[in-house]
Amino acid sequence: MKVHLITNAMKKVLLLAFFTLAQQGIAQQYLTREATLSFDAGSPLEDIYAVSESASAVYDAASGKLGVQVLMTSFQFKRALMQEHFNENYVESEKFPKAQFTGTYEAGQAVGQLTIHGQTKDIAVPCELLETDGTLLLQADFPVTIEDFGVSIPGAVSDKISKEAKITLRATLKKR
Amino acid sequence: MKWESIFFGTLLSITALGQEDDLFALMDIPETTQITYATFKGTKIINAQSNETPGEGVLQYIISHRFGSFSNDYFYNFLGLDNAQIRMQLDYGITDRLNVGIGRSSYLKVADGFVKYRLLRQKSGAESFPFSLTLYSSVFYRGARYTDGVDHYLSDRLAYHNQAIFARKYGDKLSLLAAPSAVHWNLVPGSSDPNTTFHIQMGGRYKLTNRLALTGEICPSSNQEYSDGSRFYTPFALGVDLETGGHVFQFHLSNTNAMSDPLWMAQNPYNSWDGSLFLGFNISRVFTVKD
Repeated sequence: MKVHLITNAMKKVLLLAFFTLAQQGIAQQYLTREATLSFDAGSPLEDIYAVSESASAVYDAASGKLGVQVLMTSFQFKRALMQEHFNENYVESEKFPKAQFTGTYEAGQAVGQLTIHGQTKDIAVPCELLETDGTLLLQADFPVTIEDFGVSIPGAVSDKISKEAKITLRATLKKR
Repeated sequence: MKWESIFFGTLLSITALGQEDDLFALMDIPETTQITYATFKGTKIINAQSNETPGEGVLQYIISHRFGSFSNDYFYNFLGLDNAQIRMQLDYGITDRLNVGIGRSSYLKVADGFVKYRLLRQKSGAESFPFSLTLYSSVFYRGARYTDGVDHYLSDRLAYHNQAIFARKYGDKLSLLAAPSAVHWNLVPGSSDPNTTFHIQMGGRYKLTNRLALTGEICPSSNQEYSDGSRFYTPFALGVDLETGGHVFQFHLSNTNAMSDPLWMAQNPYNSWDGSLFLGFNISRVFTVKD
């Protein structure tokens, strides 16, 4: 008799619930590999600005997990020599090819770990997430203290390079 | 039938949960092709060309000195400063691969012009390639007057240097280079003397810090003497590279004091065992004239 407690109708509901869950599990993840990530570490003496248009970003709506990754060599500078110095002398891209953030998004903040130049730091920075029909806009602007990540700036150029790099992230993530 | 559906539904849900766990693996950027940068700091190792060229739209000025030898009344000549040789070079990166330039060296008042082209570039990642190949071709004009009383044609004053520069960067510290080269003089002292001589430049650098590197080079030649009795020695040099912003400072010790290629490569009269060693430097400054 107990078997009959689960009616055919209930089975259908259960089935639907499972499928919906399964579907959501996938549909709630957003991803892009074309995020725009730039930084400005310039000073009145020198214009130091670079942009990468191939950063990746991922977000899971259910858990609020947020991740951003960028290849250091994908940063494009106006001057080839500056780009070479950036990779060769400052961030040592051969040893530390990627920078990344892993953490969570909650209430206008991204909280988690930022890794640059092989060094990881806990950060909490303001961040905007906007969902509009199937795509997710991600925006963040925050400063990073260059020395915190073990990137040394020699005395000879210390007045040309800002102590802080202003990071700008603009990404349009699509449902997976 | 329905139980099957539920089973697959559950499976899907589990899969979805699994995906959430390695969410961050999703953003992993696939390996891309990376052109190897900064095999050498400068466009020259010391006297020898490196595989590098300035980037597109970059104007480079190099000033070089070779001071007098330790064996030549060193203190009387104010540590060799009184008999220093000088070379000035101005060159420009037309593209990231193509570089043209002119130079003037004081020894025998040689003016020169060159073209340098990066044919192949070392790459790592998705489409890797093991080495760089840069072609270099230059022509030299001797401005110094002849003292032999003969009326010389303009062509007598010309010499040429062509080379293929193979270079490879091993990791982030060590770079090595080998460049088979040919030097041609339109005029040599005797009819039995070779107009064309072959050389192989070998050099390298080892980075001590991000801005400081040790460099070295040696250039064996196919010819050691001319019929007039001149004897030539294998040129070599050891140095340090110091980089600050747009400058590269190269300080070195070598057994050559001429700076135009045919002279230091094919007609170097200095034997280091006699104390003929010269201190010198190259300083380069780059100007980005076109962004």
